Amino acid sequence: MMDHGLLLLWQDYNLTARTLEHLAIFSVALLLSIAIGFAVGVLIFRKKKYSGIFFAILNTVETFPDIALLVILIPFLGVGAVPTVTACVLYSILPIARNTCTGLSGVSETHIRAARSIGLTDREVLLHIRIPLALPMLAGGVRIAVVFIMGIVTLGGLVGAGGLGVPLMTGIFNNIPALILVSGTWVGLLAVLFDGIVASIEKSLNQRYGIW
Amino acid sequence: MVAIETVITASLQHVTLSYTALLIAVVLSVPLAVLSLSSKRLASVVMTGANLAQAVPSLAIVAFVVPLIGIGFYPALIVLILRALLPVVKNTWIGLSTVDPGIINAAAGIGLTEREITWKIRFPLAYPAFFAGLRFAAILTNSVAVLTAIIGSGGLGNLIFEGLAGTNTQTLLAGALPAIMIAVLVDTGLAGLEKRMVYQEV
Repeated sequence: MMDHGLLLLWQDYNLTARTLEHLAIFSVALLLSIAIGFAVGVLIFRKKKYSGIFFAILNTVETFPDIALLVILIPFLGVGAVPTVTACVLYSILPIARNTCTGLSGVSETHIRAARSIGLTDREVLLHIRIPLALPMLAGGVRIAVVFIMGIVTLGGLVGAGGLGVPLMTGIFNNIPALILVSGTWVGLLAVLFDGIVASIEKSLNQRYGIW
Repeated sequence: MVAIETVITASLQHVTLSYTALLIAVVLSVPLAVLSLSSKRLASVVMTGANLAQAVPSLAIVAFVVPLIGIGFYPALIVLILRALLPVVKNTWIGLSTVDPGIINAAAGIGLTEREITWKIRFPLAYPAFFAGLRFAAILTNSVAVLTAIIGSGGLGNLIFEGLAGTNTQTLLAGALPAIMIAVLVDTGLAGLEKRMVYQEV
């Protein structure tokens, strides 16, 4: 009986489609965040002079309430998935870039000297020595970003991006406790699951390359 | 156009809600962290709980409260306290438990009791970790306090959701911009406080 009710609720509110929508926005946001965050991290690492100002700006963005950041993008980007993904990226640049930069700078001088003495160029040192050794740190940054992005994609339901925020909202506004409990538990489980997956990737990278 | 009085009232509600919750969370978290220090089991429960709960999106937690405790100011306050408690306990515990054992031995050697070691040695040395948790929690309560407007807590979130529903950009910004300013101001304030309280190694 209970299972039957759950199934009906699941179908009535299209939770399969909502989940797919949610994961689609999540993946796009995560990939973009990793690409941009990593690029910014490498850039800051190479131009240490500007790192102070970069981090000051990124830290300030980080203090913005996520929902406020999301809605101030609406006048510029309209509603839907675009402001949601943008807010995810703005929020995730800091943890990924900071960890990339710390990871790249933290590689021990011994490794670098050894690499140079066998004739590696600056570029090769970065690509073949620093980046592999910084991978565990980078994964740590991505893990923080995964949690942020999951939260903001859920908020995206409030600004017309679809996803699992929509059934949560419907449940709150129409007072349907069962819907709230089911979709809330489901979002929570998904978030914990993804966090767990990234945590295990982080762990295996640490065993392979860990210097921390 | 949004009346300035509306924005001020909403801001005050917002500040009251967020920072009452933060204050209560800090008051609760200190004894919890101290207890976790002496009980490994409690520590692992607190840590696992904190890590899991932090992964769950805020909107899901806010929504969960509705069927369980209802809507209004107090349910919102409870969500905020729960949300802020975990990072503060977690960081305080990390700070307290990672004090250099050499320092603890030295303190025990000059005859300090367990209690004195906790309050006079561990706590001051745990300030940096504690502040990291506090600043994170302050940002978190501020952002969740915007969200709790959908369960009737009032505050700046009301303006934001009103603006969203009516596609009224001015109302939207009248809620969002003060929320951002409050967040930046509080974070700067806490950073200043941290600088004054944390022992500076010369």
